[in-house]
Amino acid sequence: MRNGRFFVSLFLLLGSVIVLFLLVPVGKLLISVGLLRILDTISQPEVYSSIWLTLSTAFYAVLFVAVTGIPLAYLIARYDFWGKSLLESLLDIPVMVPHTAAGIALLIAFGNGWMDRVGLGFIDSTTGIMAAMMFLSAPFLINGAKEGFRKADPKLERVARTLGAGPMRTFWRIALPNARGDIINGALMMWSRALGEFGAVVIIAYHPMVAPVLIYDRFNSFGLKFSAPVAAAMILVSVLLFLVVRFVNNRLGDQ
Amino acid sequence: MLEIKELLLKRGEFTLGRLSLNVPEHSYFVILGQTGSGKTMLLESIAGLQQIEGAISFDGREITQLPPEERGFGFVYQDFALFPNMRVRENILFASSLRAIEDIEELFEDVTAFLGIKDILQRSITHLSGGEKQRVAIARAICSRPKLLLLDEPLSAVDPTFRTSIMISLKQIVSRYGISIIHVTHNFREATFLADHIAIMMHGKIVQSGDAEEVLHRPMTLEVAKFLGFRNILPGSLLGKSPQRLFSVNPNAVLFSRTRQDREYCIESTIEEMVIQADLNKVIVTSSGHKLYAKVPKNMFEKLHLQTGETLYACMADKDIVWLPEAIDAGAGR
Repeated sequence: MRNGRFFVSLFLLLGSVIVLFLLVPVGKLLISVGLLRILDTISQPEVYSSIWLTLSTAFYAVLFVAVTGIPLAYLIARYDFWGKSLLESLLDIPVMVPHTAAGIALLIAFGNGWMDRVGLGFIDSTTGIMAAMMFLSAPFLINGAKEGFRKADPKLERVARTLGAGPMRTFWRIALPNARGDIINGALMMWSRALGEFGAVVIIAYHPMVAPVLIYDRFNSFGLKFSAPVAAAMILVSVLLFLVVRFVNNRLGDQ
Repeated sequence: MLEIKELLLKRGEFTLGRLSLNVPEHSYFVILGQTGSGKTMLLESIAGLQQIEGAISFDGREITQLPPEERGFGFVYQDFALFPNMRVRENILFASSLRAIEDIEELFEDVTAFLGIKDILQRSITHLSGGEKQRVAIARAICSRPKLLLLDEPLSAVDPTFRTSIMISLKQIVSRYGISIIHVTHNFREATFLADHIAIMMHGKIVQSGDAEEVLHRPMTLEVAKFLGFRNILPGSLLGKSPQRLFSVNPNAVLFSRTRQDREYCIESTIEEMVIQADLNKVIVTSSGHKLYAKVPKNMFEKLHLQTGETLYACMADKDIVWLPEAIDAGAGR
């Protein structure tokens, strides 16, 4: 019993070190800036539109990967095909490369004008920002969905087929709902990574400024005092959005 | 009705088939085989969930290339595979949410009453017992108005105390809903109780199939006999026949006596071992080096005063002897 208490105390102590390390900077930033100044900062048009740009572009990036990556994840989870494990390793590469390097690679692939010619734009455009966000964070959603599909028993889908559901309906009615938790977690992970993307975005699009670029820009030009409120505002907004999404997801899951 | 011709399916090391099978209309067809003999794969092939070689036809129509959703065969898995994202009611009504099912309200009422699951319709499937899940899975399959019901070891995850009552319900499904059932199991008691036709499956092949009585009492090979629980598989020489022929005798049908009895066969044997049990005693005798195992009722045992080491006659009637065909045995014994 005594031993047990010592063990728990030791682990508690070690655990609190990392908890403090993770929470103190965020807390300190929010407190030192103060709620009033955060709200005031958010109401500045430049900050407001930058945060909105960040949130919406990251959201579109998640949407794009949901439409393309979830079907891919399903194929990987349910079918065996030649080169599958190679494909899975390749998909993880973006997580490992330095972000600025990824930005350069994207610039070479898409920045030579053809995207402008088809009317999408790339350099200094939201399309470019979205591409940068997507490149570095897509694996989070794809892997989350893959995990979710793998955990669900394929027999559920087979039974659905025998009950008269075609492959597409089986996917919508059985596979997708039963992998929902992991997909939403993956999407949230991807979205949060996309919100904070700086290295690749700054190479492709300094303007329009996403929040991380705006924070960096203000820090460089005017110093800590001017960048801290923007940083605090961005943290506050993303934490709030996170809590809302989790809450809604849990409520839906309980039904 | 259902006809399988030369079905062949390879998955890694395992080969199913080639096998052929005929399932008659309105029958309870049990496929009996050990774990790993390929029973689930065979059922999945029938349902259209596996790509196969060979041909499957139903009511004279070739269905080999038809996807599962167009075959209309109900499937109940061993672990039931209920949809966790739906409640009991939605699980049962899944098929009717996809297409119109004839008189679904009536059918739903009838099936849920018949299987005794009316009280759990609003429950989440995570809070059901094994028996309840199983009945929900059966109800879900019946509510798709299947032309054929495929059951994969449906009783193995059910508490033994409920097995008999579920077996009775299963047996009634055939006449009540006018559908044939193919039921795979490794348990020959289930087969004895339920089947009117039986196929024995071993190592991915059907080794014997036919009328249930016939298959259960006239195994065509030594392996089948052993699998069906036949005891006392002995050479014919004991009964004065060719030693190549093997026979089996029910341990309950052996009569011990100190004099020759009025039965077709009486063989001299020595008592080697006796096991005293509550209702009957087990007696093992040897004759010409072969062991014969018998069950002797208590009163008989006391009347005879049997002693270990004693020599006496073990008598058997011809009707209790099952001869195993020698030609096939030579192959099975290899």
